[in-house]
Amino acid sequence: MLKTEELQINIGPQHPSTHGVFRMIVTVDGETITDLKPVFGYLHRNHEQIAEVNTYLQNMPYTDRLDYFNSMANNHAYALAVEKLVGIEVPERAEYLRVLMVELTRILNHAGALGFLINDMGAWQTQLAFGMREREKILDLFESASGARLMCNYFRFGGVARDLPPDFMPRLKDLLIAMPAFVDEMERLLRENEILLQRSENIGVLPKEVAISYSVTGPMLRASGVPYDIRRAEPYSIYDRFDFDVPVGAVGDVYDRILVRIEEMRQSKRIIEQVIAQLPDAQGGHINPKARQNVRPPAGDVYARVETPKGELGFYLVSDGSLKPYRYKVRAPSFINLTPLGDMCRGYKVADVVVILGSIDIVMGEVDR
Amino acid sequence: MHDVINHLINTVFGLGWPGWAISLIAYLLIATILFMIVPFQMLFLTYFERRAIARMQDRVGPNRVGPEGIFQPVADGVKMFTKEDIVPDAADKWVHLIGPGIVVAPTMFMFAVLPWGPGMVPFDMNIGLLFFFAISSVSAVGLMASGWASNNKFALLGAMRAVAQMVSYEIPAVLSLLAIVLVTGSLSIVDLITFQSGLFISSSDVPGIPDFGLGWFVFTPVGFLAFIAFFIAALAEGERTPFDIPEADSEIVAGYMTEYSGMKFGLFYLAQYVLNFLLCAITAIIFFGGWQGPGVGWLYAQAITPANPAGNGLFNVLAGVLGVFYFLAKTYFFFFVMVWVRGAYARLRIDQLMDFGWKLLIPLTLVNVVSAAIWVGLTKWGAADGLAFVEGWAPLMRWAVAFVITLVMNLVAYFFLVRVYSQSQDERARLDDEVLERLTNVA
Repeated sequence: MLKTEELQINIGPQHPSTHGVFRMIVTVDGETITDLKPVFGYLHRNHEQIAEVNTYLQNMPYTDRLDYFNSMANNHAYALAVEKLVGIEVPERAEYLRVLMVELTRILNHAGALGFLINDMGAWQTQLAFGMREREKILDLFESASGARLMCNYFRFGGVARDLPPDFMPRLKDLLIAMPAFVDEMERLLRENEILLQRSENIGVLPKEVAISYSVTGPMLRASGVPYDIRRAEPYSIYDRFDFDVPVGAVGDVYDRILVRIEEMRQSKRIIEQVIAQLPDAQGGHINPKARQNVRPPAGDVYARVETPKGELGFYLVSDGSLKPYRYKVRAPSFINLTPLGDMCRGYKVADVVVILGSIDIVMGEVDR
Repeated sequence: MHDVINHLINTVFGLGWPGWAISLIAYLLIATILFMIVPFQMLFLTYFERRAIARMQDRVGPNRVGPEGIFQPVADGVKMFTKEDIVPDAADKWVHLIGPGIVVAPTMFMFAVLPWGPGMVPFDMNIGLLFFFAISSVSAVGLMASGWASNNKFALLGAMRAVAQMVSYEIPAVLSLLAIVLVTGSLSIVDLITFQSGLFISSSDVPGIPDFGLGWFVFTPVGFLAFIAFFIAALAEGERTPFDIPEADSEIVAGYMTEYSGMKFGLFYLAQYVLNFLLCAITAIIFFGGWQGPGVGWLYAQAITPANPAGNGLFNVLAGVLGVFYFLAKTYFFFFVMVWVRGAYARLRIDQLMDFGWKLLIPLTLVNVVSAAIWVGLTKWGAADGLAFVEGWAPLMRWAVAFVITLVMNLVAYFFLVRVYSQSQDERARLDDEVLERLTNVA
């Protein structure tokens, strides 16, 4: 028998496909992974501690920086937490605007994530370019509504910062007409491409029980076959009014995660169409005029969570009755979804590691806070 | 080339120089021209690839340096030259230095047997094809040397992958060429091209076919299967997507060139693009007739050749221009296909690549060699070789029978092997599950 030796490789922190500064200590036997240790913390910037010296409203733009792909969804979770703590009513129109923005965020996140995932599989940026093209169209809409493309800072306690500009709705309708073609194209590409199938089927399998025990959430959990979506399990905002399906995977491999994301884009489009149909036409109803922005919540604590495109984002706030939160804790989906990486990668090849990592869809800004 | 210079010096100017002086001048001239052309090919190909792939990705691509960005590769070259040359402390300095040289040199040698147009071959070797592939495998040594000398784990992994890939994909490449060599009975690349005159049917298979320069091997079942297998193997040999595993940037950074910078990195780059050009060129030559095309044969018949020393020099130029045009058009088309594949597909995994090579391509090309033997028997053999029953058939009839038999044989082999291959894929997936289970139990 030939004597072989295991090799330890550092993938990251400087590596083209670790989605930021993330490090994996990989032990390989030839090309097969025998062990993988994720190391994070390279992007730690004291987010939670800084938030404790800011007032509640000052933290709103700061939540944008957590998961910079989905600033709208982060805003939503934080606004919900503070509103719950203070007891602020949100007007009808504002709720619809919030859902509209968050569902648009879901589409843009999945378009980008699938592009990056195929890029990790070794395609030379074509699919990424097409995903980014769709994302840009939605970012244009965000820019017209909030004034910023990435760090939107659109939500306020009791509503949203400003009402929609007059040309927003026609542009949104144009976008929705063009959207299915893109999603179908992406799905055809993934379902009919032999190489992509070989690279994603039965790779990085995360069984249902393991996923639950790691408290994985979002598309990752649903791909493993658990129909858990906070929009359904514990409807917040006005999600109980909409009709949508929760797509579920069968095996829990990379391929299932791709399919779940594609289907979620379709479901988000369905929700947006219902929002457009039901949106109350009350100009100026975008924010509760009685809601104070410089809030001084009563002493107590609150946990509010939303289903962001990446999973369950929760904010735990403790108030001591002052203008600033006493404790501000983020339950970041990227971070918790990343923890089973070692279990998912063991036994696969070096090339699969980056694909599995890409299929988790992490943003390092959220993993290291 | 030799004939033209001989004609110019000894007939036009009447200087009466000896043969060796003519040869010396001819070789020096050709070498100089080649050394000017080859780097420019590489510069153009990088620009071409970047522009073409940009169009596929809804971008513009490089368009700043010069008109439409045509001088972008020159700017990149200048940048390469002026960059600091970094050698890692722990590297084996000498091996690190000569690694890129060993990779580049073979690609330059390969031009020695490459025919550009009618009568325009630097050296018509009678074993040209063998030379071409023997020399091309030398670069694997350079890859391994540079990967090992870098003393970097990514580089080592990349070098191992590169060598494994090159060694296993050389077999289907050579086997698919073996079928063609069987049909022509010659290893000379020039002979391979002259064989492909005709119109869909090669004039050497069926005499009397009008010569439009279109009797390409790709129109025969043997040649078609060989072409598919060879082009796939060429993608793997040239480390192009979906087989760019040795330098998979999303996995092992840049593979064996991770620790190279400056012009040493530039040399790898040069070698890669020149090799890609050569592989496209050899595909065009062997399966698509090289410089063969409508008109070239007729023009070259009037030119100065060893067979026709009284020809007109003007026709040499005309046939050369048209031939080089056809040759380069085909070559760039195949390079475009490479770019196209790169713009569309993801990368295979190393074990999937090996499976594909060993379990599908090699058996398929082996069957193709048998098909080629049947083809030769039916079209060329007679009573003297023990095949008396084909003796009386008309050449066209013999060609048609050979076409049908080889087509059926190749199709049956293809469908059978694809079935076996996908079954073995399923079995391998089960095997992986067992490995996975064992590993998770340990942890």
